[in-house]
Amino acid sequence: MAVRAASVGTKAAFNGRLNGGLRRVLGPDYRMGYLFVTPIFFFVLSLVGYPFCYAIYLSMTHKLVGLPPIFVGFENYVRLTWDGFFQRAVVNSFIFTFGSVGFKLVLGVVMALVLTSPIRWRSFWTGVLLIPWVAPTVVSALNFLWIFDGSLGVLNYLLVRVLRVLPQGIGWLSEPGTAMASVVAVNIWRGFPFFGISFLAGMKAIPAELYEAAAVDGATTLQRFRHVTLPGIRNIMIIVVLLSTIWTFNDFQIVYILTKGGPGGTTMVMPVLTYETAFGAQRLGEAIAVALYLLPALAVTIMVLARYMRRGRRR
Amino acid sequence: MNITTRAQTAFAYTVLVTLAVLVLFPFYWMTITSFKSEDQMRSLVSMFWPRPLVGENYGQLLSKTDFVAWYGNSATVAIASTLLATAVGTIGAYALARLRFLGRGFLASATLITYLVPPSILFIPLYAQMRNLGLANSLGGLIAAYPSFTVPFVTWLLMGYFESIPEELEEAAMIDGATRFGAFSRIVLPLAAPGVLAAALYAFTQAWNEFLYALVFITDGRLRTLPVGLASFITGDVYGWGYLMAGAVLTTLPVIAAYIYLQKYMVEGLTAGGVKG
Repeated sequence: MAVRAASVGTKAAFNGRLNGGLRRVLGPDYRMGYLFVTPIFFFVLSLVGYPFCYAIYLSMTHKLVGLPPIFVGFENYVRLTWDGFFQRAVVNSFIFTFGSVGFKLVLGVVMALVLTSPIRWRSFWTGVLLIPWVAPTVVSALNFLWIFDGSLGVLNYLLVRVLRVLPQGIGWLSEPGTAMASVVAVNIWRGFPFFGISFLAGMKAIPAELYEAAAVDGATTLQRFRHVTLPGIRNIMIIVVLLSTIWTFNDFQIVYILTKGGPGGTTMVMPVLTYETAFGAQRLGEAIAVALYLLPALAVTIMVLARYMRRGRRR
Repeated sequence: MNITTRAQTAFAYTVLVTLAVLVLFPFYWMTITSFKSEDQMRSLVSMFWPRPLVGENYGQLLSKTDFVAWYGNSATVAIASTLLATAVGTIGAYALARLRFLGRGFLASATLITYLVPPSILFIPLYAQMRNLGLANSLGGLIAAYPSFTVPFVTWLLMGYFESIPEELEEAAMIDGATRFGAFSRIVLPLAAPGVLAAALYAFTQAWNEFLYALVFITDGRLRTLPVGLASFITGDVYGWGYLMAGAVLTTLPVIAAYIYLQKYMVEGLTAGGVKG
């Protein structure tokens, strides 16, 4: 009996010491910590980490659907570099992205400013203006496909029959001159509320004393905006612009539904080209090379953005 | 109120109304189109109100297409992946926000970076992976793939939420004899309930709206989710705009209903999701 008790005692002490040692190395809460993060670790690794590495490998192969990949090094990338259609897609992607983000930024600031001015039913207006951001993007894209319709669309009806500013209807999405502007407009429509709501949160966090002090010093409305509001939401602006740049650059749905990259490639952006190369032309290796072509730029953007987002949290 | 502020307020209302009209018009247009007859649409009469107001588009949608099956598919996928992401994200976020263990900072960064990696890079290798696992062309494949964006998002959102709950509450509970787990499940979790709800709702709308993976993974027409099913209506030569818009209305309803009901939580979730402070 006594012996047994003693051995139990040593065992407990040993476990205690081992546990103490592990605690010192792995941190005081390591057991519950690792238990709780294991599922995340599993998902991140299997759904993003592994596919990402596999994508890099595939981009260096000739891979046809259903056949094993053949390693070719950087051949896909080299070929794309001199491919005129791909070059155009890169240019289109930049036009699409910066055109959209620029307007979203301006509209977002306007939205935040009107929502912070002395108005009634503030939360009602906020709710209404956020609807494009929560509604399914496919639904919005289909709505605009219908609104832009060349023969029966309501936009032409308004411009030709009601306002009489156009002699005849325009095929907004089917004419090379207007297709890009139309898809950009839809992207702006969908995305500006996110800018607005984020800036609104930032503006609410600016202490009222700063505005009062500026008013005492005789600052005009414009000066207060420039010297109090803008510096106050600077960090949020950087974060939102970078986030939206990544999202817009990789936006697939709007362009795919509205034009599929047409007419004649005038709205062909990189994500749609990736899809078409993979599932239209069935060339998977080349398709991934299209998706990964600007990876260095994307990686830098993500790193900078992640740093800003973590810093924003810590304060 | 002096004259300048009054002028500013009037200006603010003008801008608000203009933005609201631009935001709401496509939804108004979608709704009235869904109640118009084919004849009325083609003849461009009474553009802004259905005359006669008909329900035939809805009848056609529900009886002659796979819309009802798609609705079930979308609900299955969105609910299953939301439950999964919320459970995994909640405990993970608590660990990353509060517990002290080796590798925490690294894992927190990795989760955030994962959230920022765009699907347009991942969809081809993920598709290959699902095919190897025998999950291509099944709802299971979508349920398995959607955590790639919902888990990092929910985790990132809730990390901020847990950090905002004072640590002293847990310490007090543990001094009173609660275990770390007890402090988490009885003190922190109830306090974080609004945040968890916001995160879950947001994950639900993301899964409900997802398009690219569903387009690529699913080949069987009846297994489509709503967004892909709706988009498939436009591949024909003649678009039936009436029933397409009826489908669009029914697809938007659950999202908008959830949003109106829980607007406050969702607005918090939207802002905190990207940004805080």
